[in-house]
Order: sequence, then C-alpha cells, then structure tokens
Amino acid sequence: MLTRRTTLLSGLALPALHRAALAADPIKIGMTQPLTGSVAASGNYVANGAKIAVEVLNRQGGVLGAPIQLILEDNKSNPREAVAAAEKLVLRDKVPVLIGAWSSTFTLSIMPKLLEYKVPMVVETSSAERITTSGNPYVFRIAPTSEMEAVAFAEQLGKFSPAIRKIDFLSVNNDFGRGAAEKFTKALSAKGITIGRTETMTPEATDLSAQLTALKQSDGDTIFLTTGVEQQTLALRQAVEQRLGKRFVTTGGSFPDALLANPLPAGNMSYHILFYAPWFPEKAPHPQIAQAYTAEWNRNNWEFAGLTEGFRGYDAVLTVVEAIRLAGKAEPEAIREALWKVKLQGVNGNISFTKEGPAGRESGQNKPNVAIVTLSEGKTGQL
Amino acid sequence: MSALLGWGFVAAMAALPLVMPDPYLLAVLTSAGIFIIGAISLNLLLGYTGQLSLGHAAFFGLGAYASALTSLGFDIGIGFGHRLRLEPQPVAVGFLAAILVSGCFGWLLGRLAFRIRGAYFVIITICFAQVLRMVALNWVELTQGPMALVGIPPFALWLPGRGVVELYAKNQTYWLVLGVAVLAFLVVRQIVHSRIGRALVALRENETLARSVGIRVTHYLVIATVVSAAIAGAAGSLFAHYVRIVDPDVFLFIYTVTMVIMVITGGKGTLWGPVVGGLIFGPLPDMLRGSAPPEAQWIAYGLAMILLVMFLPRGIVPAVAGWLPARRAAAPLPAPAPSPVQGGAG
Amino acid sequence: MQQALQHLVNGTILGGTYALLGIGLTLIFGVMRVVNFTHGELYAFGAYMAYGLVALLRLDFYLSLLLATLLGTALGAAIELLLLRPLRRADIDSVMLAMIGAALVLQNANMWAWGGVAKLVPSPFAGTPLVFGPVSVMPLRLFVLGISCALLVGFWLLLERTRAGIAMRATFQDAETASLMGVRVGWVSTATFAIGSGLAAAAGALLGPVFMVSPTMGDLVGLKAFAIVILGGLGNLPGAVIGGFALGYVEEFGGGFLSTEYRDAFGFLLIILVLAVRPQGLVALKERVG
Repeated sequence: MLTRRTTLLSGLALPALHRAALAADPIKIGMTQPLTGSVAASGNYVANGAKIAVEVLNRQGGVLGAPIQLILEDNKSNPREAVAAAEKLVLRDKVPVLIGAWSSTFTLSIMPKLLEYKVPMVVETSSAERITTSGNPYVFRIAPTSEMEAVAFAEQLGKFSPAIRKIDFLSVNNDFGRGAAEKFTKALSAKGITIGRTETMTPEATDLSAQLTALKQSDGDTIFLTTGVEQQTLALRQAVEQRLGKRFVTTGGSFPDALLANPLPAGNMSYHILFYAPWFPEKAPHPQIAQAYTAEWNRNNWEFAGLTEGFRGYDAVLTVVEAIRLAGKAEPEAIREALWKVKLQGVNGNISFTKEGPAGRESGQNKPNVAIVTLSEGKTGQL
Repeated sequence: MSALLGWGFVAAMAALPLVMPDPYLLAVLTSAGIFIIGAISLNLLLGYTGQLSLGHAAFFGLGAYASALTSLGFDIGIGFGHRLRLEPQPVAVGFLAAILVSGCFGWLLGRLAFRIRGAYFVIITICFAQVLRMVALNWVELTQGPMALVGIPPFALWLPGRGVVELYAKNQTYWLVLGVAVLAFLVVRQIVHSRIGRALVALRENETLARSVGIRVTHYLVIATVVSAAIAGAAGSLFAHYVRIVDPDVFLFIYTVTMVIMVITGGKGTLWGPVVGGLIFGPLPDMLRGSAPPEAQWIAYGLAMILLVMFLPRGIVPAVAGWLPARRAAAPLPAPAPSPVQGGAG
Repeated sequence: MQQALQHLVNGTILGGTYALLGIGLTLIFGVMRVVNFTHGELYAFGAYMAYGLVALLRLDFYLSLLLATLLGTALGAAIELLLLRPLRRADIDSVMLAMIGAALVLQNANMWAWGGVAKLVPSPFAGTPLVFGPVSVMPLRLFVLGISCALLVGFWLLLERTRAGIAMRATFQDAETASLMGVRVGWVSTATFAIGSGLAAAAGALLGPVFMVSPTMGDLVGLKAFAIVILGGLGNLPGAVIGGFALGYVEEFGGGFLSTEYRDAFGFLLIILVLAVRPQGLVALKERVG
C-alpha cells in the first residue's frame, strides 16, 4: 500500500525517489485545466476532483500493478495555452491519455492535436455539440451536451410553480453560452414556452447593469443564465440590484458557491442545473460512490461547493483508469479501443460511451444525469 | 555581426533538427521563431524609428485572422442583402493575404498615428489592438468570436518531386519558420541600409534637423510602419497554421509585451538584437513549464525588463559588441556591409 | 424612459470611479511626464487589500477601505523611490518600459499570493436596493459614489489650498522654474505618485465589494484609465473628471441601447475617433507632441 503523500505526484514533478519508486514506473495521465484566469474557480475544482480520484485509486493499488501519476498543466483560461499544455503533456511527458480541458473552446483547440499525435482525450466538462460530431475518434465525452441538458431539464418543467411561460437568456459570449441559449430555445419552445431576448456578456465583464436593465424590459418570467461561477454570482447579485424580479435558472452544472456565505436578500430564490448535488449524496444514482467522493473531498478541507464540479475530474480519472485496466497496457491506441468498452459507476451515474458523428470516425458520448438545486438565503434544496 | 558569422548561425539552426530530432524541442523553437519574426518587425519601429509601438500584437493578430479566414473560407452578410463569400483558398494564398491585410492596416495606423507622438502614440497603438480584439470577439459571423477559428489547415508547401505536401512534421514547420525568419531579417536589413533607413535614423536622432534638411518625415515613417506591420502579419499567419487555432486573445497586450521584451533585451536598433533576445525569451516559458508557476515566470520577465532599462538600456548585442572592441561591426547602426545574396533564402 | 433613467444613474456611479482613476493617472503624467502602466495594478492591489482586511482579518469595513488606500499610497511611494527616481534622467520610452515591467511584477505577484479564483468582499450594506420611482440603486453603490466625490473634492482642496498642492501645481506647469523657485521637485514627484496611486487603490477598494476581486481585474481598468485621460487630454485635471463621467455614460448608454457585446469597446472606439478628429482631446488645448 502506498501512502497518500508519496503517490500524489503533482505537475510540479517531485522526483519519485520515495516509496512510490519501489513499484513499477507510474502510469501517467495528463490533464489540462484552467487553473488561472477567468474560469479558474471551476478548473481548480475539477483538478482537485481528479487528484483525489488518483489518491483513492492508488490506495487500492493503482492500476496494472503500477501507481497512477496525474500530470496537471494549467491552460490559463486561454485556447493557445491549452494547445501548448497538451503538446507539453504528449511530447515531453509522453502521457498515453489526456483529460481536459474544461471550456469547449479549449477542448476544440486541442482536438486537432489529438489527431496529429493519436492520443485519446476524455472530455469532462465541455458542452458544445461539435466536439463529438466533427469526426474526431480520439474524443470521449462524459459531460452532457447543451442539448442533453436542455432535454433533461424540459422533462422536469412540471416541478416549477408558477410554471415557466416565457424565457430570456443571459449568456456568456462563447460556445458554452451561445450553445446553451440555442439548445434550450429548441427544447423549451417544443414544450410551448415563448422565447424572449438573448443578452450576451464577455467572460471578463463585471458590470452587467446594461444587460440586466435591457432584460428587465422583457415580459419573460424566467432568465436562463449560462456562464462561469464568478459571473453567475455577479449576475444574480446585480439582478437584485436592478429589481428584475424574475426567476433565474443557471445552466451548465456549476454553482455560485459565494452566495452560500454571502446570500442574496430574503425572497430571492435561484435554480441551478447541476450534474451532482453534494448536499444530497443519498439521492445520487450510486450513493456509496458519491459518498466516498464527498468524504475524500472533505478530508482535504476544500470548499464544499466545489464538489458540484470536482466530480467531473473524479469521474474522468475513474473512466481513464478503467480503460487502462481494460486495455492491459498504457498505450494510446489500446486505451482508445478500451474506452469503448468502459462500463462504470461514477459519481454522476453510469458511464459508458455511445457513438456519435460521421461513420468510421465516431467520437464517444456518455449520457449523464441532471439535478435541479434551489438556492435561497444561503440554503439549498433539491427540486 | 559579420555576414559570415550570420550565415554560419543560420546553417547551424538549419542543421539542428538533423542533430537533435526531439519533437518537443522543435515545437518550442518553432513557436519561439514565430515570435522572433514578430520581434524583428517590431524592431524596425521601436529601434529604428524610435516610435514605441505597443500595439504590435494588432498586426500579428490581423495576419493570423486574415490567413486563417482565407484558408477556411467565409460567407458573411455585408448589409442590404448582399453577401461576401470566399471559398477556402490554399494556405499560401492565406499567407499573402496576411501580409497584405496587415500592411494595409499598418498604413492606416501610420497615417493616423504619426500625427501624434510620444505618450499619445503609445496609447493609441494600445487602443488600436484593443479595438481589434473587441471586433474579433463580437463579429461572430466572420471570426467565430470567442469560439475561435478552429480546424485551420496546417501549412502546405510545394516541394520538388512531391507536389503539394501538408507540413505536419515538426522539422518541416521548423524549417519553414526559420526560412521566413531569415527572409524577414534580410528585408529589415535591406531597409535599414537603404536611404529610408538613414532617413529614419536621422529622424530618431533629431527630428527638427531632419525636417529642416528636407526629409519627408511622415512619408518614411509610414513606409517603416507598413513594412513592419506586413512582417508581423506574416508571423501571425505562421502562428495560425502552426497552432491551428486563432482566438481574439492574439490581440492581447501580453503578446506585444513578449515581443517588446525580446527587442529591448537583445538591443533595439541592432539587427541581431531581436534574434538574440528572442532566443532567450522565446523558449523560456516552455522551459520553465513544470518547474515554475507561470506567475513566477512573468515576475521574472517584469524584473528583467526593469533591470535592463536600468542597467543595460541598449541591450545585450551593443554591450557585447562594446566588450569586443575589435568587432566593431555590431554597432547600433553599422555602415552598409557588403550586400549578401538578396532574399534568396526562403 | 425608465430604462434611460436607470442607465443615467448607473453611468453616474460608474463615472465617479472612472474619474477617480483618471485623475490619478493624469496627475502623474502632468507632474512627472510618466505614463503609469502600474495604475491598473494599484487598483487591483487596493481591491485585494480590502479583501484581505475585511474577509480574512475581519477588520471593520470602513477601516479596511482606509487602510487599503493607505497601503496603496505607500506602494506608490515605494515604486517612485525604487524605480522612477533612479530613472529620472532616462527618456520617456525607457520609463514606460520599466513601468510595464513593474506592472507585470505586480499583477503576477497578486496572482501568486491570492490564487486565480475571484474573491467576494463582504460589505455591511443591505443587499436590497433603494428605490426612487423608476430607478433603483444599491446602498453600497451610493456609498461608493459619495466617497468618490468626497475624494475628488478633497483632492481639489489639497491642490488649491495647501503648500504641497501649490508645489505640485507649480511642478505641473513648469518643473524647471518650480525647482528654481525652491520647490523640491524630487519630493513633489514622490508625493504625486503616491497620491495618484492611492486614488487608484481607493477606487479598487471601493469597487472590490461591488464586483469581485480577481488578479486580472487591473488589465481592462488600466486601459480604461488611459482612455479617460486621452478623452480629457493628458495632464488635464478637469479633463480627467469629464473624461471619466463621459466614459461611464458612453459605456452604459452604448451598452444599453446599441449593443451589449461592444460595451467595453465603446471607450476605445471613442479614443480613436477623438484622436483622429480632435487630437488635442475633448477638453485640453495642449499640443500632442511629447
């Protein structure tokens, strides 16, 4: 058995002189996340989830008799850096498999390099449709597309009271935000809901008063908010300020945890579409796995709300390691073949891949679960 | 540096992939080389005209977008129901488009900005890059905005006996970038040693005097800006087809700063300055990746800038030339050296 | 109409802090001929200090804002003494390069010290807005506007009514003559840079609790401060105040009625327009060379 400290080899490459060295050479997994920059909060949560998954698995003896080593590279919330990070991981560290890269834009920018170097990547967060439909056979996505999220949400419409009749969108100006607006429009107008206006914001914008004042003019009752947690917090706070008086639903699976400690004034309830609701692990599809993950996270004294996104990294590592086990060797092509055979219980639910995209060059897509969590006066509930 | 030493250096760099075929090393040097080309072009403005242009990333980014869009093709509405369509073109056409578009914008900025000098010029160049970034972010129909232009084809070159081949292999792109860098160097050298170059230096040293002896100040400054912008555009095109993604962040101030650091470290106003500075600062981020967090690296960059300005204001190349008094050839403005083969090195 | 009134209120509040930023930058340029690239970073520094004092050390909110401003002032003085004083005889471009270097160091030191994740600064103000007919405004924002105006007036009194202020204005107009008249230009420079930096830090400390605090928050703000100063004319104090409010209104109304996407671009487009049509700025009459 390996101890915790020696097995978690971080990206800082502490020389593996310790007891870890007595086992076989570690099996490397490369991961790139936005650890700094505009979407750093989420990226750090996902990275932490991956780290504890590696710890847990190494405590159980690693894979193929070797310890697992996670090499983490910052992509600085920037697509060019995402490419540089992937090249470093593949060319210098020679990892046989990648996990990444949070935002759809970062993932899309890495994808040509996957084809070039023939290394598979498990996509843990990105929601853009074209990631799995562009014919890249090295992409395996465990996160839901915006469309899957919208369709799953539409099935739960009946839980809202008063009912949702007309909606507007406030979206970050990128694949994530625009994609969500498009897919929710499609899924909800099919249910007879009227669509109002769509306002966009740049990812680094802090003052959203102009957008919110414009949205106030609409007679919609609900605003779908799609962006990272920082901007979710800003938008929800500023909406109170501008007296919007509308229901907010955030999409994409991240949660504005800053509002737990600094809640909005009484009478403001917001709704959040999440893929894991850490307040209610017993309601997860596989409670014992969700509880193990939650316990490990809490043992590190990390922010509780980070659990909502950390599971992505956790499930991604479980998936990759399972594929390595099935492949019987840590080689890119073998892992790619094996990813198709993965059948696994994760924090979010069952993980397995179905084929998407042009025949012969299909990408893998998993079908995840969706939960709607409410937040009011710093307290959460599940719808 | 004498022409012989220069060509020896080029030969050594060209031989490198044969001696050390490590793909990671070549990847690092290739992206460093692209920024060195940018630095060479910036040096023409910064070093020879004395204009502190801090919007150079604008030309680099314009080149990247022009080249990517030409090779991907586009179809946009231009108002009144008309549409502008372009079928995907060969990458070489994109490369030329990059040079052309950046050069045109260089002319525009040159006309506009040289009415003003000093601090105003600096700020207007910064704003110019910012406005372009906002346009790239929001003109989604053309640029895909923050979704970035993805799937840009790699460079393709017609090679004797093999037809048109796509340059996937690291050593091929490395040689291509090296070739363009040599070409850019020779163009700048040719300008510096021509009438234009002498006029520019006269301007830098004493504008009033230069005007009084009849040098057409704006005219020469605009020529220098156009050439500088065009070379930066070429570098941007290389970048687009090498990284194969272009997003609005190519216009960020930090890219300009990277090029500025290369120029002032090596020595602004010397032909080899940007090359020397670029070889130091270009590979550094990738070398430090893993051993130091990116913040530490940028702190080091910042400190280097401050220390250079304070203690080595003219840069490394003039300082080294000063220590080696025998080799007087590397003085800031060398006398016209015997002209080498012109532009034959692509 | 309701929408327009709300935009007017929002623009005024935004403009007040922009004016605070612009006036510090233009003062430093006017007195020292230095283009201060660290201005945005001092803004971020002020915000982080406010966060550290309020959220981590749990000091009183108002005391924390004051301390953050003073710390910013001290940092400004340190930059002047360590960096600008040795470079007094260097040309304007060298000083600019050194200031860019200093800005890089400051920004990344912030990132290193605080991490990349944005922080929320708690404030003692109510989270419900005050409502005046068709418009609503947060008490915190009114407080920010009030303090901004108080600082602007206080700064004006300092310039007009104190000996230090007179020395500053004298240096502003003509450094050489001022030094012949017995003004110690070196110390005036230190004081100027410290005060200008203090104003930037104050703006950061005030806006930190309104928005969020992140390491790159100084980038856009620094650029906007340039925009404000160019609008008003470099080195023109009333111009900076007018430029600050002008930018606030342009962004707010442009964002509200034309296009929210281009909201942050309006300022920069305005500068290029101003420089193309009226290069001496909206207010200033000075020549634009130097």
